[in-house]
Amino acid sequence: MLVSRLRTLMEEEGILFSFSGLISQSLTSFTIKSVQEQLEEFNIDHKIIKTMFLITIEQLQNVMSYSKNRLINDGNKFISPGIFVIGFDQKNKKYYVSSSNEIEEDDKEKISKKIDLINSMENKQLRDYLREQLRTAENKHERGAGVGFVEMAKRSSEKLEYHFENIDGKTYFHIITYI
Amino acid sequence: MENLHITATDYTPDINFDAKCGILEMKGKSYPENTFEFYKPINKWIHDYLTTTLCEKVSINLNIEYMNSSSLKAYFDMFDSFEEAHNDGKILEIKWIYDEEDDISEETGEDFIEDFENLNIQLVIK
Repeated sequence: MLVSRLRTLMEEEGILFSFSGLISQSLTSFTIKSVQEQLEEFNIDHKIIKTMFLITIEQLQNVMSYSKNRLINDGNKFISPGIFVIGFDQKNKKYYVSSSNEIEEDDKEKISKKIDLINSMENKQLRDYLREQLRTAENKHERGAGVGFVEMAKRSSEKLEYHFENIDGKTYFHIITYI
Repeated sequence: MENLHITATDYTPDINFDAKCGILEMKGKSYPENTFEFYKPINKWIHDYLTTTLCEKVSINLNIEYMNSSSLKAYFDMFDSFEEAHNDGKILEIKWIYDEEDDISEETGEDFIEDFENLNIQLVIK
């Protein structure tokens, strides 16, 4: 049965929460609330929980803002198809947040350049770079400051891992961030 | 000037700005999806207030637990207004308030202190 196969997969991958469908602001706060309830049961360190949520917020808001097939409601509410997962990696004993969404083929280069630059920096450099970006506001648009990846990298214990995949002529962007 | 009150949501803080007594309070979470739209009237109010108020001293109490990256930008802009007012001779008492176990909020407060070294910013454990 399908749910049984899903359960096995989720247990193997240490998945605490997963979602596939339309990602929105209300889903973001729902996710945070329900995962918090689960984690508090296990007495997990406050800092890990908070870091996980900050990364979740950045990833989901990135999907909402940049996904190729986003819908716009009430003029400014973005709802975008995507997948995301919050889990615990049994191998390296770390929590992770991972997401995937369709992007424009042309955006691939821009995204890789941005993440590769961020991944080349150490923590102190990241902090200075974030401040510089916030000060110049060069990447600023109406919805964000364009610094979501920097914030994720700053909070993560590892480099940002990402890759692109072409499926049936569509381009997908996948990212995983370890806490 | 009119007071400014905005009720908190799951992802935006409670805003309580009292023009008469010069007390500006913000409390809650801050990760709206359209951050600049949310903070535009707030930052405008602060800027207008600080440039027109006759109060010598203004108290600012900030207790923000979750902040997304674009909110950080909005707060940088806000602190720029605080710095301008400070340079104009206003006395600003800024409190950055956080829970004892919340190291991340503490670090955010320390970053503001480092970036706005002229301002009187106190870290206060709730």
